[in-house]
Amino acid sequence: MAEGGDVEWELSKENIQPLKRGRDISALHQALSQQQDGLSSAINQQRQAFESELRMYDGDDPLDVWDRYIKWTEQTFPQGGKESNLATLLERAVTRFTEEKKYHNDPRYVDLWIKFAETCPEPLDIYRYMQAQEIGVTQASLYIAWSEEYENQGNCRKADLVYQEGFKRGAEPHDKLLQFHKALQARVSRQVMMHVEEEEDSDDEPKEPERVCLADLRHKGKKKAIAPVNRTGPAIRSISGGLQSRGAPVLGNASNSRLVIFDENKSWMAPPTSRAKENEQRPEKWCDVKAPPPPKPTFQPFVEESDQPPTMTPCKINPAVNTVLSARKPCREETPLKRLQEHHQQQKEAESGKPQEQSMYCKELLLSGATEFCFEELRAERYFKKMAQESQEARGQKDQASGSAAN
Amino acid sequence: MSLFGTSSGFGTGGTGVFGSTTTDSHNPMKDVEVTSPPDDSISCLAFSPPTMPGNFLIGGSWANDVRCWEVQDNGQTVPKAQQMHTGPVLDACWSDDGSKVFTASCDKTAKMWDLNSNQAMQIAQHDGPIKAIHWIKAPNYSCIMTGSWDKTLKFWDTRSPNPMMSLQMPERCYCADVVYPMAVVATAERGLIVYQLENQPSEFRRIDSPLKHQHRCVAIFKDKQNKPTGFALGSIEGRVAIHYINPPNPAKDNFTFKCHRSNGTNTTTPQDIYAVNAISFHPVHGTLATVGSDGRFSFWDKDARTKLKTSEQLDQPITACCFNHNGNIFAYASSYDWSKTPSFWQTPGPMPWCCVYCAWTNQRGLPNLALMTTV
Repeated sequence: MAEGGDVEWELSKENIQPLKRGRDISALHQALSQQQDGLSSAINQQRQAFESELRMYDGDDPLDVWDRYIKWTEQTFPQGGKESNLATLLERAVTRFTEEKKYHNDPRYVDLWIKFAETCPEPLDIYRYMQAQEIGVTQASLYIAWSEEYENQGNCRKADLVYQEGFKRGAEPHDKLLQFHKALQARVSRQVMMHVEEEEDSDDEPKEPERVCLADLRHKGKKKAIAPVNRTGPAIRSISGGLQSRGAPVLGNASNSRLVIFDENKSWMAPPTSRAKENEQRPEKWCDVKAPPPPKPTFQPFVEESDQPPTMTPCKINPAVNTVLSARKPCREETPLKRLQEHHQQQKEAESGKPQEQSMYCKELLLSGATEFCFEELRAERYFKKMAQESQEARGQKDQASGSAAN
Repeated sequence: MSLFGTSSGFGTGGTGVFGSTTTDSHNPMKDVEVTSPPDDSISCLAFSPPTMPGNFLIGGSWANDVRCWEVQDNGQTVPKAQQMHTGPVLDACWSDDGSKVFTASCDKTAKMWDLNSNQAMQIAQHDGPIKAIHWIKAPNYSCIMTGSWDKTLKFWDTRSPNPMMSLQMPERCYCADVVYPMAVVATAERGLIVYQLENQPSEFRRIDSPLKHQHRCVAIFKDKQNKPTGFALGSIEGRVAIHYINPPNPAKDNFTFKCHRSNGTNTTTPQDIYAVNAISFHPVHGTLATVGSDGRFSFWDKDARTKLKTSEQLDQPITACCFNHNGNIFAYASSYDWSKTPSFWQTPGPMPWCCVYCAWTNQRGLPNLALMTTV
């Protein structure tokens, strides 16, 4: 059994998203084996259970359900992707508790925020937003994640500043923050050393300046548009995502310049003048030139009656495949951060008592979690819960009765 | 009634009550109150087809039962029979000859109730509660269509334990309507799928929702040739969309309108928005009735794009409505629809009173003209 599992995991390595805290190997095996036969009903049932728990919870720690749900999702969908709904879940979770001050420095909540930030296109904006909203400002993990993001973008100075901010706010646990800060410093200094060494190495055999095709150029002067004349060495921007050709430059230009064309005509000192054409047209604007309208047919084109497209064509395509070619929806210009800010704004408006509209139903229950519920589903969940309780009680009574009968 | 064979009535039944025992907010429209209403929220109402003499009304409830009443023209309602499920009943429909009633339940089954013998048997099985059930009568086949929260739409020949066909949906079925040869299903996450039923059911088109909020109810309307041509879709946020399938000018012909909101158009108080619980089209005039959680019902003319009438406010949400086959009677059910806050349904005590009312309509298809407020 274990062997089979190992093979499976070997086969689908590339489909597994890395998790910061690692993965539970047994959960991974289970997830991978379940995913071979599509989204299994077991997963659906578990998800449904979490969804209903989110709505039925009436204890004093609602974050707990969200936290467990999100951790379960991470473990159950190793590939991530849309069907895991992880990004939606994270967004709903962080939005749900923005007003609850008691969670603002709860490590679980801060972790959710960090995971959320990592799914966003601009994590730095999210961290700044967190700081502005005083979310997680006393948690070391915020500063660590924030600093790592800066470091990834190559801004070590800002990365260091973030740690300084963390120390200033007295983030906990202090040791962890200190440890990560030292690690950052070590990395930075090692990088500097490497650079120095590299430069020394390169001094030994100075390379010919070499033109690089498709490379980004540094701007010169105040006007951004002016590209430098010299397109080698320092003029090329160090970070370039584009293609870089190292080694032999493309032959094209160099050989072209040497290629001499029209050798016989060396004696011609002046370029040949264009022959005087009689009907030469001068270039003119084309914008007022109009094409003559196409002539209308003087007859009625025959259309066979049966040729009319039927009002209802049966769709033979498998619906599951059909979505691939559906019309592209206009992309929305809103980022998760914008939505958060909007939500915040709405909350403020509601508090100040000036909302334009208010929904007269339990909206937060319908729209909690990754999927929406309808009124009937909410009610059915209650009903099923009650039924389960009653049947359990009945069983308990029966057991008691049989126990006493035996006595 | 010989039709019901050995069926026995239930409750005290037999006499019509003209709102005499109730307060004003209970029955502000002074409509006929159906005797022996269900004990819990009413999820669906349906009148018998024109093939049957007289008018019979069925209603499914969260008390796990389906009841059938005869609605007599003199305003009397007579309870006729009832059937039980092992879970709340979410939807019910008639067969085209009126001899059978089909019921869908939270217990994941659908039943066929033969009114002549008063026997019910299971005809369908899903992996989740069945939210919608419809009878399809095509020239070459007839079947039962069930839409469930297990994300499938199944078609059943009533004689076989296995479905004739099962179609996968992207999400849970929230509501559906059928007018041959068209079926429309609205799902969770604002999904909207149109099916064509000629020869055999197949998916016709998926439509981007014209609404921004959760779908709650859908009803197909017909054109002048009596062919289905579009549908009205209601959302939880007090709005209904009128959507044609193949309109000559989609931008102009399709539209949405607001409904079931408080009159808070002035800026001092916010506008209260309620869910649209059901939509029904008048079989003759083509006008539509909407009922909402605000406890009102409204009549609309979709072609003139005007509101015709709005009822007084009942003390409870209106959860279901329907017209009888010739549009003479408009039935609506007032009961509790779960749209209230959690604190409301956690308080112990008996469930609020549930009622089914029948309103007789005039020549224009509007009930109780004197009591209804104009636009």
